[in-house]
Amino acid sequence: MPKIITCFKWVIDQADIKSEPGSNRLILDRVDYKISDYDRNAIEEAVRLQEVYGGSVAALTIGTPAARKSLKDALARGPEQAYFVHDASFNDLEPAQTASLLARALDSQIDYDLIICGEGSGDLYAQQVGPRLAENLNLPCITQARKLTIQENQVIAERKVEEGIEVVAAPMPCLVTVLPEINTPRIPGLKDTLAASKKPVTEISLQDLGQYYEPCLKTIDLQATTMERKCEKFDPADGLNKLAQALVKAAAIS
Amino acid sequence: MDFKLTEEQELVRANIREFVQEYLDPIAVKIDEESLYPADVIAKLAEMGWMGMPYPEEYGGAGTDFLTYTIVVEEISRSCAATGFTFSCHTALGSGPIYNFGSEEQKQKYLTPLCKGEKIAAFALTEPGAGTDVNAGTTTAVLDGNEYVLNGTKTFISNGPVGDTFVIFAKTDPEAGPKGMSAFIVPKDAPGFKVGEIFYKMGIRASQTSEIILRDCRIPKENLLGKEGDGFRIAMSTLDNGRIGVAAQAVGIIQAALDESIKYSKERIQFNRPISRQQAIQWMIADMGTELQAARFLTYHAAWLKDQGERYSQQASMAKLFAAEAASRHTSKAVQIHGGYGYIKGFKVERLMRDAKITEIYEGTSEAQRMVIAGSLLR
Repeated sequence: MPKIITCFKWVIDQADIKSEPGSNRLILDRVDYKISDYDRNAIEEAVRLQEVYGGSVAALTIGTPAARKSLKDALARGPEQAYFVHDASFNDLEPAQTASLLARALDSQIDYDLIICGEGSGDLYAQQVGPRLAENLNLPCITQARKLTIQENQVIAERKVEEGIEVVAAPMPCLVTVLPEINTPRIPGLKDTLAASKKPVTEISLQDLGQYYEPCLKTIDLQATTMERKCEKFDPADGLNKLAQALVKAAAIS
Repeated sequence: MDFKLTEEQELVRANIREFVQEYLDPIAVKIDEESLYPADVIAKLAEMGWMGMPYPEEYGGAGTDFLTYTIVVEEISRSCAATGFTFSCHTALGSGPIYNFGSEEQKQKYLTPLCKGEKIAAFALTEPGAGTDVNAGTTTAVLDGNEYVLNGTKTFISNGPVGDTFVIFAKTDPEAGPKGMSAFIVPKDAPGFKVGEIFYKMGIRASQTSEIILRDCRIPKENLLGKEGDGFRIAMSTLDNGRIGVAAQAVGIIQAALDESIKYSKERIQFNRPISRQQAIQWMIADMGTELQAARFLTYHAAWLKDQGERYSQQASMAKLFAAEAASRHTSKAVQIHGGYGYIKGFKVERLMRDAKITEIYEGTSEAQRMVIAGSLLR
């Protein structure tokens, strides 16, 4: 019965981000945080697999101590325990560093057969932590899974690729990143929410990892990108000529 | 002093909010327009463990504090006040007296299926001639062998048409004034029990309201709640709890009015700029936000006092009075901010304004709350 680890990231809720008119600077002083949407699919898939195949599910996250708030939220979604790797300096983690620190935590402290990650994070969406983590742990890695099953000691995954669906298998232990379409995360009920407070959390500090870490990223500024849209209406009675002329004038075509 | 909700209360709020956004927001307009009971949403709430939340797990509840329950009523009402009320009517008014005054057998038999949401509860006190003057009721209960025989008509009974288990008040000693009133657990399949006229209302239209007609309605004598003569006390104590729920419902309504007003005023362009840049609109929104905060603190404080085991009757009345009147004031302002659009069906503020009014009327009118508050202050 597989021991499943599901990784998640605590990200700014996009809905709360505002930009300052004129400067386009992002206003983040009143934002709330949430579990990255893609990672909610990862958690749901881990819990779903456990319901089918048994075993255990633990949630794993890394961040500053402020991300501690995320643990109850994650635990309300089904995992029976959580691991929290934290340090005050973890506010600008670069994906390679995240993967290396998580790998260190998994190697030294956590038993696992299957690691499930979201396809990317809801904020940076670099899509790197999953594959890099697999590389660091020397595990087979399946990305972009849209369906997962377990047979004997193998994970069978349907992957969405450009030309269709590819079915691949990997022996456990392995790592899988999942697409949002793999499932619809359930909304925690009241009892799940209340039970979350009673589930165990293992805290892992930077010192516990015994790994050197120095931030290599620094956020200097954040600006919203704007897309200017132009809207002109053309009368169908005029045919395509007027439209073509307007596009030439706007240098969209030549 | 501590004004901070616990992490658990915050998470409960987030999760019920997610629930209503998924299941209730999409149907709120339709169930209002067609006066439909949201049976699927109630079934889903039951399945996910919300329907008996403040009662102990041994009866199928979740054992939360009352403040957490208050937050849930607020969040459901923020989406649909009618469903928020159906929920609070079931939980506090209908199930509450059985939990607070029932015997162990009564709790096992009646409270457990209510907490699990397998059955729906209702509370039947009001009569055509007995509203605020509760004691003017003429429904009687006469002991006949091992049964009580109930006769009379109850009116404006919320959850009446959908309820399974009713707490009904009747006079066991009509000459004894308030001390002659008793409370009974009446299942809907009791002989002589009938749902009378169903009422179509101005607001909270998805909440189902009817008369309850009792004609030689026979129930086993063990369905008496407490002792004969306890009815008035049971009713007043239950209404104290219920008022916190109505206050929470009003808070949810004001929050929704503020949400809608902020959104609309930022989008609506007049004189080449959003109307939110007009001072007239800003002042309405500032007042709305301020009174929302005041109403919420009064409501949470009353719930908190109850959780601490302290007296809270006066604070529950204050919360209900203030929140209800603020809801009426500010939903009207929200319609004003929306201008003509606010008067059109389908715009949420139109529904909010209709839904707000009832909070000034049921579970004790604003006038009755002032009586309670003045009585307590001038004692």
